[in-house]
Amino acid sequence: MSIVVVLLSLAAGAYALAVIERWAVHGHLSLTGPAWAALALLGRESLLARKSDRLFFELGPVLLLVAGLMAVAVIPLAPGLIITDLATGALFLNAALAYVLVALIMAGWGPNGAYAMIAGWRFLGQFIAYAMLIVMPITAVAMRAESLSTVEIVASQEQLWNVLYQPMGFILFVVAAMGLAWLPPLDLPDATGELAGGVEAEYTGVRLAVLRLARMVIILALAGATVTFYLGGWLGPWLPGWAWSAIKILAVAAAMLSVGRYMPRIREARYLALSWKLGISLALANIFVVGVIALVVPI
Amino acid sequence: MSELSQYAILFGLSVGVFGFVLSLYGLARAIGRTRSEPGKGVPATAGTLSRDPVWVRYHARYAGYALLFLAFDMEMAFMYPWAVVYREEGLIALLDMGVFLSILFLGLLYGWSQGALRRQ
Repeated sequence: MSIVVVLLSLAAGAYALAVIERWAVHGHLSLTGPAWAALALLGRESLLARKSDRLFFELGPVLLLVAGLMAVAVIPLAPGLIITDLATGALFLNAALAYVLVALIMAGWGPNGAYAMIAGWRFLGQFIAYAMLIVMPITAVAMRAESLSTVEIVASQEQLWNVLYQPMGFILFVVAAMGLAWLPPLDLPDATGELAGGVEAEYTGVRLAVLRLARMVIILALAGATVTFYLGGWLGPWLPGWAWSAIKILAVAAAMLSVGRYMPRIREARYLALSWKLGISLALANIFVVGVIALVVPI
Repeated sequence: MSELSQYAILFGLSVGVFGFVLSLYGLARAIGRTRSEPGKGVPATAGTLSRDPVWVRYHARYAGYALLFLAFDMEMAFMYPWAVVYREEGLIALLDMGVFLSILFLGLLYGWSQGALRRQ
């Protein structure tokens, strides 16, 4: 039962996110816009580049969608409203999102096009920059909750949300999540101005529709992970739990989408240097500080 | 729900995604077919075929980072079980992992001083 509810709310969330993206990026608020855009994509021809690696080309977007859905499966929307409450949920989230890298490299390699190829390999560099900053802050969250289950992690924030308990981890995680979802200013694999769309360059028609949908699901999964790990999940006064989850997830996603409007794209070399010299040091310091607090303060 | 049935659900969802995508493809095909015409298969390289083959060696200039990444990624495999029992074990756990992490951090600093944290 809860599976159907979560899948339906995922579809609704993806649509709402498409509306919000249009609004945050282009400044138009149109409720029907994404529906027409999706219909137009389905109606367009879906071309296959000559001499493409057909298997990788076809499987890339599908694997991306699978990865996004697996990540969504361990995010609780309300008590009991979760697809699978795995005991190792936080670790499973990492494992699922690791396939984003594989899928993007497949999508970049597949069409045998120069821009897509460069974009795919570039994302590997971006992966090395963001990957540690996804896993290290989650460690600090698990230390407080004494569990990797996402439901337990939300329950551990009953008295104080993690965003106040470990603000440094929150900032690191959100920035790394934006790198994972290749949102601007960290949109190196589809850098619109310099790579002609990058991994999206060779995808047209229905295949592009699947790729875009998969990316929406991944953004939702990451916003959901941010809310679960740092913003207290379904916890909140007055409103029911699912309403709080929906508000928080959409607000986080909208914030992540709108940052790119105010910041220029960062270069790969600079992103790597920043996240290893500054990011890893801060993440290790975060683990240490949370470790000391967790031993001294009982909450 | 038992662990096994949870993984069965996840597997079912993955298979379901393939079904969903296939039905989308069917819908798109019902709306209109793709006509095969010459020139449509040229990748997005200014309208002409690129002079050189595309599947060539790509210079992974982040190689230094990649090696450090391997070390850190292995370390994270130890960190997760440690994080779960951290509060039970108390100060001992903090000291144990503190030593481990400071050695690792010194490794990062050493790599930095040797120029590993640079795009080569």
